[in-house]
Amino acid sequence: MTDSSSSIPIVSGTEPARDQQVRFKSEGGKLLILLPPEDEGDGVNTAAVLTWNELWQQLKQRLDASDRFWQPETTVHLIARDRLLDARQLQQLADALLEVQLYLKRVYTSRRQTAVAAATAGYSVEQQSPVAHLNQPGAEAGQALDAPLYIETTLRSGAEIRHNGTVVVFGDVNPGSEVIAAGDILIWGRLRGVAHAGAKGNSRCVILALQFEPTQIRIADFVARAPETPPAPYTPEVAYVSPKGTICIARAADFRRVQQQDNRIS
Amino acid sequence: MSRIIVVTSGKGGVGKTTTTANLGMALAQRGCKVAVIDADFGLRNLDLLLGLENRIVYTAVDVLSGQCRLEQALVKDKRQPNLVLLPAAQNRTKESVTPEQMKKLVGALTQAFQYILIDCPAGIEGGFQNAIAAAREALIVTTPEVSAVRDADRVVGLLEANGVKTIRLVINRIRPTMVQANDMMSVEDVQEILAIPLIGIVPDDEKVIVSTNKGEPLVLSETPSLAGTAFDNIARRLEGEKIEFLDLNVANDSFFSKLRKVLTKKVF
Repeated sequence: MTDSSSSIPIVSGTEPARDQQVRFKSEGGKLLILLPPEDEGDGVNTAAVLTWNELWQQLKQRLDASDRFWQPETTVHLIARDRLLDARQLQQLADALLEVQLYLKRVYTSRRQTAVAAATAGYSVEQQSPVAHLNQPGAEAGQALDAPLYIETTLRSGAEIRHNGTVVVFGDVNPGSEVIAAGDILIWGRLRGVAHAGAKGNSRCVILALQFEPTQIRIADFVARAPETPPAPYTPEVAYVSPKGTICIARAADFRRVQQQDNRIS
Repeated sequence: MSRIIVVTSGKGGVGKTTTTANLGMALAQRGCKVAVIDADFGLRNLDLLLGLENRIVYTAVDVLSGQCRLEQALVKDKRQPNLVLLPAAQNRTKESVTPEQMKKLVGALTQAFQYILIDCPAGIEGGFQNAIAAAREALIVTTPEVSAVRDADRVVGLLEANGVKTIRLVINRIRPTMVQANDMMSVEDVQEILAIPLIGIVPDDEKVIVSTNKGEPLVLSETPSLAGTAFDNIARRLEGEKIEFLDLNVANDSFFSKLRKVLTKKVF
């Protein structure tokens, strides 16, 4: 069709994605909350850096979406990296956590002001050197995936879930929202937004939804749109990359069989 | 305990201010003490819809800067003694107020009023943050258009993230004939995406334009209009009454349109 120079570059899975997401991780019975770094290396591109307000919204959304999955009385360690937090913001955070019975105990930070604010508020503080970022993205090529992320919410327009692993959404993914996962994406609801599975380049990942009406689906470096005319009765479907290198959709009930046939052909 | 309700939408021009003015008036007519706050600093309109423009002496900004007392800035409605308006400043911008100041203002009003309706500006920036800062409930106004519904969806997400959990939906400017012909999103289509409880369906009505220009909310009109009744019903539902939604199809539900409805339903 066209030569490669004129084609539009599509989000490449291998390029280190800007990690502007609040992340939750459980480790040794504790919950770690990782804030995205404030200064993304160059410090020039301010548009890519989350403001406190945006960060706060993300955090609240994630807390609301999975509040029944915390064990009550869980200890939280906040990994603030180089983000400046004042006493008010720390208090706001601790209050929100307390609502879902999570207790902020320890703050890791590389900023002196944040350390001082946290210590004054009575949290134990660990000040790290600025280079020691936890989970620095793209540091090594072959990273193991994180534990699956399970969220129970409607993802509304503007919401974005990024996860280095499989994502399970128990709810609808509305138009204007995005799910980007390094692993599979399973949606127990309607998919109407954008879903990107295998975002780090694994084209064997799949997207499953009870009702497929996506704006766009991507698996690894492949992109597909939904057909202009939707199929009459919606059934649970799976999107996968066929051996021919295109995104195909199969009925979820038939998916295993289709895949085996494909494997035999190839 | 007074109820603090923000009327918001994300998209502009869907009828936030019209809804605020009519609901405020309808609630006041039912005997509630109501304060409506215009949070659209720099582009205020609520005073026009209520016909109170020429009575404004002080604004919310004057109260915050200490140039007047709160009671002095409140404009009493000329027809309905239960209704007051706290006007926004027209010569300032959204940045002239902070969410904390908004909370303070609204907090002071809760002492004397049962309902505080906040007319939110379009958008999701500072003005929106100010408007929702003090709110405990929200009314989402949307029209049956994809753009309005998309923006409303975003706003619902933001409200939830900001701790406003009681959110109800007003679908404005619906045209039953177009819905029947499958040329317009139906109430069900909108609800399927937004998934929040519905509190009102307001039909598209030319009388709204007249009432806006005259500064006479529709619910005041002697001759009842469909849109006016719809707003009055929303006010009653806010008060906790159970009222059936208006059957907007009655007027033009002939045998053929019914038949067509059945046929088109099958196709989809």
